[in-house]
Amino acid sequence: MLEISDLRKRFAGGPDAPEGKVALDGISFTVRPGEMFGFVGANGAGKTTTMRIVMGVLQADSGEVSWQGRPLGYDDRRRFGYMPEERGLYQKMKVTEQIEYFGRLQGLSAQAAKKSATDLIERLGLVERRNDAVQALSLGNQQRVQLAVALVHDPAVLVLDEPFSGLDPIAVDTLATALQERCRGGVPVIFSSHQLELVERLCDSVGIVSAGRMVATGTVADLRGVESNTLRIVVRDPAPGWSDGLPGTVTVRGDRHILQTADVDDQEVLRRAMKAGHVEYFGVEQPTLTEIFKEAVA
Amino acid sequence: MNGLMLVARREIVTQVRTKGFVIGLLVTVLLVAAVSFLPMIMGGDSYTLGTVNSQQLPLRQAAPDTEFEWRTFPDEEAAKQAVLDGDVDAVLVDNTRVLTDGEIDSELGVLMQSVNREVKLGAAGVNIPPLQVQSVGADAQYEGARTGIAVVLVLVLFMLLMGQVTMVAMGVVEEKGSRIVEILLSSLRPWQLLGGKVAGLGVVGLINMVAILAAGLLAASASGLAADFPPGIAGLVAGVLVWFVLGYVFFATLSAALASLVSRQEEVNTVLTPLTMTVMLTYFVSFYITTDPTGTLATVMSFVPPFSSMVMPVRMAATEVPLWQVGVSMAAMLLAVAVVLAIGAKVYARAVLRTGARLKLTDVLRAK
Repeated sequence: MLEISDLRKRFAGGPDAPEGKVALDGISFTVRPGEMFGFVGANGAGKTTTMRIVMGVLQADSGEVSWQGRPLGYDDRRRFGYMPEERGLYQKMKVTEQIEYFGRLQGLSAQAAKKSATDLIERLGLVERRNDAVQALSLGNQQRVQLAVALVHDPAVLVLDEPFSGLDPIAVDTLATALQERCRGGVPVIFSSHQLELVERLCDSVGIVSAGRMVATGTVADLRGVESNTLRIVVRDPAPGWSDGLPGTVTVRGDRHILQTADVDDQEVLRRAMKAGHVEYFGVEQPTLTEIFKEAVA
Repeated sequence: MNGLMLVARREIVTQVRTKGFVIGLLVTVLLVAAVSFLPMIMGGDSYTLGTVNSQQLPLRQAAPDTEFEWRTFPDEEAAKQAVLDGDVDAVLVDNTRVLTDGEIDSELGVLMQSVNREVKLGAAGVNIPPLQVQSVGADAQYEGARTGIAVVLVLVLFMLLMGQVTMVAMGVVEEKGSRIVEILLSSLRPWQLLGGKVAGLGVVGLINMVAILAAGLLAASASGLAADFPPGIAGLVAGVLVWFVLGYVFFATLSAALASLVSRQEEVNTVLTPLTMTVMLTYFVSFYITTDPTGTLATVMSFVPPFSSMVMPVRMAATEVPLWQVGVSMAAMLLAVAVVLAIGAKVYARAVLRTGARLKLTDVLRAK
């Protein structure tokens, strides 16, 4: 289990901002084995800073990252897989060599690194590109190589900063499948993304950061539960005044009346609507992660 | 240590495979080989001479290193034509006159005159023992070859040093700018990454150095130039390699530390300027010293690191240097290398993850 508790970080100010900038103002969350944790937040909210601190690339001013109940150390981190925000690959190195090299650095034997690289190349659909220099690859393929580099040593934890940015839907699926496999194998996965539908689809739990603070964490269902659920009814050609006395708003579009309401007896509302006209839609509107996010950071 | 070796190996493999490396190596090897053959090609120490009704002069005895080819002409007319056509450099007629096209080659003139005198005097029963030449300098005998070796050495040392040191800087910035360093440093210590890079590129430099030295020595023995080499050339070669390594580690570590302050390749040149100036200065001083290897400047500079890394091998090539001086100079350089390694590694470790605007060296050193 990976525990991040109360991370704080202030960046030294420059001439134009002498007091510096608070990047993290007490970030805490936990990722369990086999859990996929989506990290969302506006640009500059502190996602990258948090991940860099987890990976030891940056030092926190205070707070702690612990792994399996112990403070996270250098040797533990060697077993982590990391994908930094700005992609880092040797442009002139060939795909296979590159993946093998990083495998070796993370402690694999030459043979194990080779085997793992070959597997990943196949799984991520890079077979035809395996002998190309990275600079000759498309962005999507470079990203696959980057993910392979993070996965090559069968990491105990995955920390991925925006792994899906700039990818086409097919590449997104390939990457997502690879991540889900690892996750099912018991590896905690943290990734940040601005593609909230994707986070909603993939993640078991979500953390929303805003201005260096974790404003909401939990499963997507949990986060929804906090919000009030809205009832939405579409009635065609209703009798006038059918919704009088009900809370909420009615929008009229042509001959359709759309009622959005909450905190009412839904069965009573349905009966009234059916009596008034032809009910085309009746359902509880669950807020999307995008709506939850906007609400949370507002 | 394992991590350091892996990094070093990658650097070596990556470099050695590039076209630039292969071509560069071939060109320098060929250049050095050509330089070794130069005296033979340009020497021009061979003359074609003719006789008309004359005895051939025993010129070989007076100038054993020079080739003479003799031709006999039936009469003066034929000899004149051959001189005008440039077939022969000079023709001896009737043992009394020499035909040439314009002024005679001064060396050939002096040689012919003195040999002629000797032959005539010998015939008259006068025997003059040749003057015995005795050098009172250390070994003036090899001075020419020594200076030649020193000049080539300065050039090779400078080129390799500059090339490899720049490579180190570019490599550091490549990793920093592209954030590869973030992945690398999640599985390596900064000193492993820095040490591996410096060591790997150093080995590439050494491969170059050894190839150049080998090419030079082989070509020199093939061309006969090696006969002029001073004794102890093997010791000199070993010394050059050691000094190259010391100078390289010094400058490469500084280069890596300076390069870690910037994040973009375009900034490398600017940030390296003080270093480049120092290497250039070292080069100029060493080059000057090849003309005056026994002067005060040479002696003093061969003790001052990092200048000593290039000046001392040049001095050693150009003249005899007492062993204690080499020892003291090397100790001073080793100390300087140790200091640079300590400071350089610290700067590198602190700066290489701080991407963005160029960092100030003083800020990095002061930061906790």
